[in-house]
Amino acid sequence: MLEPELEIHPKEKILRKKKNQEKVDLVKAILLDSFFIFYTILVLQRAIYYKVILDLRELPFSWYEIGFIAIVSVLIGIIWGYSRTSLGAKIMGLAKETKFAKLSSEIFAWTLFNLTFIAGWLVTKISLIDLFSAEGIEGANRIFYALFTPEFGIFDDALFAIIETIYLALIATLLSIPPTLILSFLTARNLMKDHWYTFSIYYILRIILNFVRSIEPLIWAIIFSVWVGIGPFAGMIALLVHTIAANAKLYSEAIESIEEGPVDAIAATGANKLQIIWYAVIPQIVLPFLSFTIYRWDINVRMATVIGLVGGGGIGTMLMQYQGLAQWHEVGLIVIMIAIVVWIMDYISAKIREAIY
Amino acid sequence: MSSNVIVEVRNLHKVYPSGTHALKGVSLDVYEGEFLVVIGLSGSGKTTLLKCINRLEEPTAGTVKFLGKDITHIKGKELREVRTHIGMVFQQFNLIKRMTVLNNVLAGKLGYMKTLPSILGNFPQECIDEAMKNLDIVGIREYAYERADKLSGGQQQRVAIARSLMQSPKLLLADEPVASLDPATSNSIMQYFEKVNKELGVTVVCNLHFLSLVRRYATRVIALKAGEIVFEGLPHEINEEWFKKIYGEEAEEVEIR
Ligand SMILES: Nc1ncnc2c1ncn2[C@@H]1O[C@H](COP(=O)(O)OP(=O)(O)OP(=O)(O)O)[C@@H](O)[C@H]1O
Ligand SMILES: [Mg+2]
Repeated sequence: MLEPELEIHPKEKILRKKKNQEKVDLVKAILLDSFFIFYTILVLQRAIYYKVILDLRELPFSWYEIGFIAIVSVLIGIIWGYSRTSLGAKIMGLAKETKFAKLSSEIFAWTLFNLTFIAGWLVTKISLIDLFSAEGIEGANRIFYALFTPEFGIFDDALFAIIETIYLALIATLLSIPPTLILSFLTARNLMKDHWYTFSIYYILRIILNFVRSIEPLIWAIIFSVWVGIGPFAGMIALLVHTIAANAKLYSEAIESIEEGPVDAIAATGANKLQIIWYAVIPQIVLPFLSFTIYRWDINVRMATVIGLVGGGGIGTMLMQYQGLAQWHEVGLIVIMIAIVVWIMDYISAKIREAIY
Repeated sequence: MSSNVIVEVRNLHKVYPSGTHALKGVSLDVYEGEFLVVIGLSGSGKTTLLKCINRLEEPTAGTVKFLGKDITHIKGKELREVRTHIGMVFQQFNLIKRMTVLNNVLAGKLGYMKTLPSILGNFPQECIDEAMKNLDIVGIREYAYERADKLSGGQQQRVAIARSLMQSPKLLLADEPVASLDPATSNSIMQYFEKVNKELGVTVVCNLHFLSLVRRYATRVIALKAGEIVFEGLPHEINEEWFKKIYGEEAEEVEIR
């Protein structure tokens, strides 16, 4: 018998791999713990001590103090994490099975949660008094009365504006399809993982798309209304950009979750990459793609309305104008029309999506 | 005998990225025209072995030769050319569900076609005639224009066989082709494999679970256990003792007919 070309000692290999993994996990656990402790001290000091107990308006800020807290946290983190009794160790699955380890990580997790909730409450200054004061209620009354007695004089204009909004959303959705398709294939892990160069394309595109997607369409609209001027075009581009980024992710996830079997079967016939994609991948993803796209049109109609508020054209811009003039009856009509259109779009898109499945 | 070896596997190892050592130095020869059956418990490495032969999986070490040519590390066009001569049929049929039966069968010709015409679905008339002939061989010509997922499991597997026949394969790999079918259907599918083997002269390597089928169809048997070959011989040589060796002490043979 010939010797195998590569010397393989699988048991040893697996064991070594496991040990390395454990080291990495421990470092991760310590980092996690340090972060948790840092966060806890910071919240205790700034939100609870300065804000509530001392009731300071301006919070003092110094890098020395923060640096000091950070160092202390890392030290505690290392000791606590290394002893394998910490929350981080528990999360990474390294914690000891002792009672102390269990108790300490549970109490700490509970403290973290409560602290966050209390700090959140304080920061947003939740005030039920404003919501139910006599003044507040009167204001609400005035607006709701106006909203329910809409002014039909501007019906023609509003209808035109809302059609503009629907078209704007439709064009943004349609134009998004070709670039989204291309990008989704380039950001599907299972298609791109084989070579280092395709994998780097995958990685870079993912980062860019994540970045674009994390910026809300509203902000894109502000950017583009400065770039190309206020109006429907700015709104359309804003929606287009966000739609591409958001749908490319959904599409590529659909590609990643296809059945591998047909891909194997087509590859086994000697087909090339493009043929494999056309015969084994595309048929599995047309339906999800169609469904996402139709749903996105529906979302885009709603977003186009909001984008209009910052100058993206259509019904939103009109709403903004009447709201600025405090003409609440006109605002009422516009709001009702938006509600009806959104409801109809929602219904239609749900029906279409049902029908194609 | 060695002049007509179609596949030569030497010292084949496969370690998956997860660390599983699925094949541990497998060596075997497949002879032209035989019906070789591979048996073994779930997880013994049967699928991995077949996939290393047509390189759907990359061997970690060792060599695979096809018709005397070392194909262990070939890539791209060269690999695709070799694959056109090796058909494969799967347990889950792996048809393109939303396409017609005819188009599924035509897909077997992809390796011989230029990219653009194949994507446009521009198959020459000879291909379509050939596809119909192959559907005839497996007896489902009348379903040619049905959607593939409308067919029963047994019919779908026949489509898969017809698809692999489009490659005019020298070798047909079948990975538990009847494992998700009922006994009667299993038998009829196995008869199609026998027909392909005997009448068309295609060498078959087939993974199977049921010994009754093995005895009926195999001309030679190989048994894998935990990634190693533990038995090699004729079907009738698998007696009680070997059976326990291959499948473990607790195992008992179930009969299907
Ligand atoms: N893609 C994969 N990644 C990691 N491990 C795998 C992969 N495919 C198979 N394995 C592992 O390799 C071993 C052999 O699997 P293989 O599928 O070849 O066995 P099999 O004999 O075909 O089993 P079955 O009868 O269940 O199909 C198993 O332990 C399995 O878990
Ligand atoms: Mg298998």
